[in-house]
Amino acid sequence: MNLKYRIAIILALILASFWTLFPRTVVERVKRNGEFVYDTVRRVPLKRGLDLQGGMHLELEVDESKGLVPDKSKAIDNALKVVRNRIDEFGVSEPVVQKAGNDRIIVELPGIDDPVRAKDVVQKSAYLEFQITDKTQALEKALPRLDAVLKDAKIAVAAASPAAAKDTANPGLQSLFTADTSKKPDSSKTDSAKAAAGTVGGPGAFSKLVQQGGMPGEYYVAQSDVALVTQYLAMPQVVAALPPAKVIRWSSDTVSLGNRVYRPLYVLDAKPIITGEYLTDARPNTSPTEGNLVQFTMNNEGARRFRTETSRHIKDYMAIVLDQRVMGRPPIIQSAIGANGQITMGGKDLQAAQDLALVLRAGSLPVPLKVADWRVIGASLGQDSIHKSITAGVIAVALVVIIMLGYYRFSGALAVAALVLYILYTLAALAGFQAVLTLPGLAGFVLSIGIAVDANVLIFERIREELNHGKTVRTAIDEGFRHAMSAIVDSNVSTALTAAVLYQYGTGPVRGFAVTLLAGIAASMITSIFVVRTFYMIWLNRSRDAQTSLSI
Amino acid sequence: MLRILHDTNYDFIRWWKVMAAITVAFIVIGLGSIVVKKPNWSIEFTGGTLLQLEFAQPPDVGQIRSTLDQAGIRSAEIQQFGSNREFTVRAQDPATVASQSQGAEGVAVTIERVLKQKFGENSLKVMRTEGVGPRVGDELKRGAIIAILLSFLITLVYLSIRFEWRFATAAVIATSHDVFTTIAFLKLMHLEISLTVVAGLLTVLGYSLNDTIIIFDRVRENLRKGRKETLYETLNRSINETLPRSVLTHATVFAATLSLLIFAGEVIRPFAWVMAFGVVTGTFSSIYVAAPVLLWIERKWPRKTAARQSSSTATPTSRTRPSPATATR
Repeated sequence: MNLKYRIAIILALILASFWTLFPRTVVERVKRNGEFVYDTVRRVPLKRGLDLQGGMHLELEVDESKGLVPDKSKAIDNALKVVRNRIDEFGVSEPVVQKAGNDRIIVELPGIDDPVRAKDVVQKSAYLEFQITDKTQALEKALPRLDAVLKDAKIAVAAASPAAAKDTANPGLQSLFTADTSKKPDSSKTDSAKAAAGTVGGPGAFSKLVQQGGMPGEYYVAQSDVALVTQYLAMPQVVAALPPAKVIRWSSDTVSLGNRVYRPLYVLDAKPIITGEYLTDARPNTSPTEGNLVQFTMNNEGARRFRTETSRHIKDYMAIVLDQRVMGRPPIIQSAIGANGQITMGGKDLQAAQDLALVLRAGSLPVPLKVADWRVIGASLGQDSIHKSITAGVIAVALVVIIMLGYYRFSGALAVAALVLYILYTLAALAGFQAVLTLPGLAGFVLSIGIAVDANVLIFERIREELNHGKTVRTAIDEGFRHAMSAIVDSNVSTALTAAVLYQYGTGPVRGFAVTLLAGIAASMITSIFVVRTFYMIWLNRSRDAQTSLSI
Repeated sequence: MLRILHDTNYDFIRWWKVMAAITVAFIVIGLGSIVVKKPNWSIEFTGGTLLQLEFAQPPDVGQIRSTLDQAGIRSAEIQQFGSNREFTVRAQDPATVASQSQGAEGVAVTIERVLKQKFGENSLKVMRTEGVGPRVGDELKRGAIIAILLSFLITLVYLSIRFEWRFATAAVIATSHDVFTTIAFLKLMHLEISLTVVAGLLTVLGYSLNDTIIIFDRVRENLRKGRKETLYETLNRSINETLPRSVLTHATVFAATLSLLIFAGEVIRPFAWVMAFGVVTGTFSSIYVAAPVLLWIERKWPRKTAARQSSSTATPTSRTRPSPATATR
């Protein structure tokens, strides 16, 4: 090939590399004064992996502990949209949300500083239902049955859970039957109740744990009995004996009466009057009387239904149920409610209201998700890794340069120049393909600096052999390149094939490693064969006298 | 002109029996010790939880251990990680892993809480946490094995096309030898086998294969020249002719590996160790595994055109080397 074209190609590659690597202005989500905003930043377009910039990596899969999910792949597809919406709202710079395999979602949140909150936002089902509290006293009617069931199950319960037995011995509440339903629980009576308390699953086992609350369908359970009642409610015999077409839900809050803490339990009509699917907007707010709350808006259809349903339930109490927990105390429906409503957060902080508003806006998860795999890397650790890798890289280059110059002198200098171009081209290729730089990838890159000169070593040794055979410098160089070619091609292609396999079967950091390896192989083929050859041609052209001896 | 090992004429292959004994002994000791104590799998493979902690003051490791034991996190591996203030805690016993199936983050939260209770809220900082569910690990193990086998298969096909099946088989056997020596090395050094280390292993395989190909390329060339010499002599000649290249390349790669080992930090160190060992085993296998195996295959299935099937007395016999070639035939 004509020397001019060769030089032009090399220069063009250098220019292209500089252009690819030149810091450019991009619009990104960045943190300014603690808030995430879109802003322009100038940065070198090399993407750093989570292990280098710090952040959080989550792999979510379908949680089947509460029932099997028939079509996981489809469920994950639907969940993916919701998770993506939520992450977009969450405000992280360049998040990654993608499906992995058939049944997993990968979420990457660079630079996140509150992993617990992030996990919460991703995982919350956010299934919102509006249900009318029961006014038929269904639970009271079912109580004898429940007590009987528990009496039958007495031995099983006692054997299964001695810890629960201890709890029951101290019910701390009067039985529902002896309590005056209009009266608040009275701590003075507690002692007698305690004295009267039977053994596990004895007479009135269930009814003595629950206390009539202040509205239809509301009951109080002492905080210390919550675990026991939850356990009872999960027993299949109990489930069968519960009133039909009703559901029982815990409150998300506790109430203090006197010096005791209770958790309200609600009996609700099983069919919700409306669900959160019609929600169009939700905003956090703070009211002086009710504390932090979330205000929501429904679309036209939702508003119409809501109005119709609420007008049929005037003077009833409506529970707002989020993920099977009743939020706040159910308010009484004074008149038909239209498009707007609110959820009070109880004692929770504004952050909680913000997060709830966020998940409500993004929609509910169609299936429950659990974290199968996660990594959190501190930002300082990532910075430290970058510094150390750069140090190692600089020293590796220095050592390689010393070896090459010391052994091959002038030709070694050509190889070193080619090595500089190798580094430039490889980085540009990584930036161009938008590869993600990971710590193993950086290590692979440092290693590749040592390997990259191999092709030149092969060529130089060949040239030496040809010179030994008494060939002229020009012929020796030609022959050297020609003979070394088959070894270089075969060894590089087989390495590239291995790297391709790594890329195909690797995950995360290993993939980054494979990409670095592939970019390195391509760059080293170009620089050690094409570029060094061109250098020799320039040298041969310029100093015609020097052709009789080659420093190699 | 500075020259190292120029125009040498060592009879490398003569020593193959001694070398075979050494490498077999190394592999047997290494793999045998797996029976005694299981390999140091990272949580990526076993499932489990890892925390990297930085303490304000050098802590007492015994105290960390007893605190974790009291919290019900049994047989956690506590390891110094760099300076004496930095530690990693790895909880990967089956009970802990099983408790992660309901959300992998629970154990990490517990560890952080109990340690902060014990040592004080500001006395330690969590630099990194990782949690891997039990299912993921098995998939990764399978993925790694598939990756290695597949890369062998592809190499076999590629070299069969570029050289011929005898060379391809010898090269793949030499590379498989490196898998075993590297695993033995990992075991004897008690290095943590993580995904990065597996990537390192695959790099070693690629590197070793390179080295074998360079020598075989020279063998191919020398065979074409049609000298009157046995394959044994051709192999020795080719190894000697490529010796300066081998020394130079191994020197530059070793330089890069060494700087990784010393400067790149704790996370990369196991990878750097694997690579450092890889340079040694890759060079060794190219000379003492690939060449004798090629000789042996050549004797068993001689090439029709070649008149050099009368190999020398040092040619490996089928008695001392199992017959891997039959498997690939």
